[in-house]
Amino acid sequence: MSDEVTRELPKPFHDAVVHWQQHNFPDYPRLAEDWERFFPKDQPFCLCARIARSTGDTIDVGERKGQPKATAPKDLDPEAAQQLLAIIRAQASTEFGSIQQHQATLFRANDAEDQAWVLRVMAEELRHGYQMIHLLTSADWSPVTEAKPADMVEEILSMKTGSHVLAAFNLEYDSFVDNVVFCAFIDRVGKYQLTMQKVAAYKPFAASMPPMLREEAFHLATGVVPLRRWVQEAAEPSALVTMDQLQRAIAKWFARGLEMFGDERGGETNVRLGLKDKTNRQAQDEYVAECEQMLDDLNVRYLRSRYKDRDRDEIDRVYATLKRDGGRYDGTSWGEDLLKLPQRAFFRRRGEHAFELTGFSGDRFEDVEKYVEHVLARLPEAYRASIDVKHWADVQRKVARGEVTLKDAVKSMPRLARVGGACPCANSVRWVVDGSGAA
Amino acid sequence: MTEARIRPLTELDIDAVTRIDEKITGRYRPEVWEQRVVYYIRRDPDAPKVAEVDGRVVGFMLGEVRGGEFGLEEPTGWIEFFGVDPAARGGGIGRLLAQELLDHFRAQGAHIARTMVARQDRDIDAFLRAMGFAPAALTALERRL
Repeated sequence: MSDEVTRELPKPFHDAVVHWQQHNFPDYPRLAEDWERFFPKDQPFCLCARIARSTGDTIDVGERKGQPKATAPKDLDPEAAQQLLAIIRAQASTEFGSIQQHQATLFRANDAEDQAWVLRVMAEELRHGYQMIHLLTSADWSPVTEAKPADMVEEILSMKTGSHVLAAFNLEYDSFVDNVVFCAFIDRVGKYQLTMQKVAAYKPFAASMPPMLREEAFHLATGVVPLRRWVQEAAEPSALVTMDQLQRAIAKWFARGLEMFGDERGGETNVRLGLKDKTNRQAQDEYVAECEQMLDDLNVRYLRSRYKDRDRDEIDRVYATLKRDGGRYDGTSWGEDLLKLPQRAFFRRRGEHAFELTGFSGDRFEDVEKYVEHVLARLPEAYRASIDVKHWADVQRKVARGEVTLKDAVKSMPRLARVGGACPCANSVRWVVDGSGAA
Repeated sequence: MTEARIRPLTELDIDAVTRIDEKITGRYRPEVWEQRVVYYIRRDPDAPKVAEVDGRVVGFMLGEVRGGEFGLEEPTGWIEFFGVDPAARGGGIGRLLAQELLDHFRAQGAHIARTMVARQDRDIDAFLRAMGFAPAALTALERRL
């Protein structure tokens, strides 16, 4: 019945992932305890690699379109193999990184179901990381790297919040609002990446995407559904989560999500090499349209909750007018009460808008101090005090004063954690241990 | 009318599905559809379908393959919820949705599809019969509690 086969990693690598979980995802055992309550009849969770059987055999895009897909790295164009290895490492980093982020505020959920959903998302991210390690360890990558499989795994498992490949995975969560907004905005980028990678010219990689995508659909719902409930409750004076809090969280994450697509001017190489089927800008445009639709739905849900005596058609008219003209309607202000997507150039550090002085609504700033003040005023209070924001403000000022080149600014990252942190166990300095001593 | 495009349902379709249900039943029930949509997305996100015309969702059909229900061990494709915007009816949207969902059931290894319909829902009954469904050798029983 299943279109998938499952694979387990060789023992030293499997044990290394389990060991990593014990240190970084201590709530994992609760998933099995809560499974019957929240996911009755669903297949039990499996920490394994899942591989689709029905992946195509020929390359769909790029210079080698129509040729057979590679089944080993050595059969890929060397440039494609190099690029793919970087993609797999980055993908693995995001999977493990998001667990570290979610874990920090998981206990602050005020709804048991929301918490259970995030817990399942974390476990499935662990499985996705496992899947990437499977890709790295089940093939011979020596034609493109001198690093041994154990060293590649070691590098991935050693990353911490602050040393991951992409900026979105280096931000600390401030509250459970971040767990949910992250699922809605950052996992949505993940969906785009996985969808684009379904066509990859390396068949084992392409065949890994469909099972991950099926799980990713639930991750997006884990973001959107609690958001829908929160905006409904936000229409009441006693709301625990306000529209203002949600708006600030969106301002925190949206720019980082945009940057996960890569520079808007790039992506042709991956298409040419047959690794993805869209350029960065094409994918980003579609992502922004989805985010826009998500916020429209949330705003309408808020208005319907706030004006229960008005019918659907009237609320639709009111919302369309507020979105087009701004202003107010019967106590609701477009500017203050409803959710808006920041302009794409707002609070950017990478890509074509990196370190531009562009405000939330697209307004341009000449004075960097006023711009920093403008951005800070739109971010969550706890995040404003973070090393990440301090670093951004510092670099933003230096770019404006000509003290740092844009090229160096784009490369600059705050070091929140030491790269290469080893396992905290006193009896082990590596995650991957030969033999049976890893766990 | 432009040809409908059938695609898998996503979490961003909750609002559209809620609207169609509201148009049909007169009840605004977002909580109900949030739970249902998450259920199907969680179980098999490729199964539930929506029909889009000119970028607008005008119909939905939710179901999945399960085995072991009511002692029926064989994998069965269950059609459980569907609706078409009253303004978009008559264009074969229900048929397209059903065809796609049944194709998915087949691909998942089901050799039979099942559903239930209330006796008074004559339109739904006629639609399902037109799709090839026939009375089953099963009796639906109930008891007031």
